[in-house]
Amino acid sequence: MTEDEIRKEEQVIERSKKDPRAFGELYEKYFDRIFNYIYRQTDDEELAGDLCSQTFVNALNNINRYEFRGFPFSAWLYKIAGNEVNKHYRKNKGNKIFSIEELKVRELVEQGTDDLNEELITQLIRYMNELPTDMIQVLELRFFEDKDFKEIAFILDMTESGAKMRTYRALDKLRTNFNLKVKYDG
Amino acid sequence: MGKHEIRLRRQRMSARGSDRYRNYNAVLKQHGNEKRIKQITRIFTFFLLIAVIIIIFMAITRWEKKQGPKPQSKTNSTSVKLV
Repeated sequence: MTEDEIRKEEQVIERSKKDPRAFGELYEKYFDRIFNYIYRQTDDEELAGDLCSQTFVNALNNINRYEFRGFPFSAWLYKIAGNEVNKHYRKNKGNKIFSIEELKVRELVEQGTDDLNEELITQLIRYMNELPTDMIQVLELRFFEDKDFKEIAFILDMTESGAKMRTYRALDKLRTNFNLKVKYDG
Repeated sequence: MGKHEIRLRRQRMSARGSDRYRNYNAVLKQHGNEKRIKQITRIFTFFLLIAVIIIIFMAITRWEKKQGPKPQSKTNSTSVKLV
């Protein structure tokens, strides 16, 4: 995001504090991203729609408390969305679901050789099922949402070094277990 | 650290798919309702607090009245019977 975009967004937020209708601009801008983020953690369109609406309602309810901390406004929305998803799973006591697009998995794993076949992808998914949930969350934000570590740390309420550590560990395991080259710009 | 399940999706979620759930008017309406409920709760809590303070004040006043010294005229008075 450029400086100009951030400043423009700040102006919209200031207007939204006085007039909730102004928030519509941010809603339109971030709806798809937040919806997809929630959908990837629920695999249920209806539920993702509900939680997404609740995310924006919560954001609007608390817009007066929002203050710029060096992150784009979307990071705040991701944080609220993550809390809504966690609240849903706590309430329903079910296992968390991560719905990952095959295309994204292929993007994540750059082939060292030409053996990224169906079976390997299945093994990879099985392996990812064994990883701790918080590790998957970090990987998801890093590779599927393209967030930097500072933003990930803010969204998941952890330190930046903690976020980096989890990513390194998960990727190291992937490298050693599957002998794959993984896209990573550290 | 909870358990999770990873599902592989072959197709990408289309923008059209999410458009069905895009409704800012509904968000505004819900925000309005929640704001109203919050205001009512705040006013109710305020009056409840005032009521509690008044009740406590009245109870203390009553208790003080009960505990207060009995009228002196009764304790010190001596009666003389004249026959």
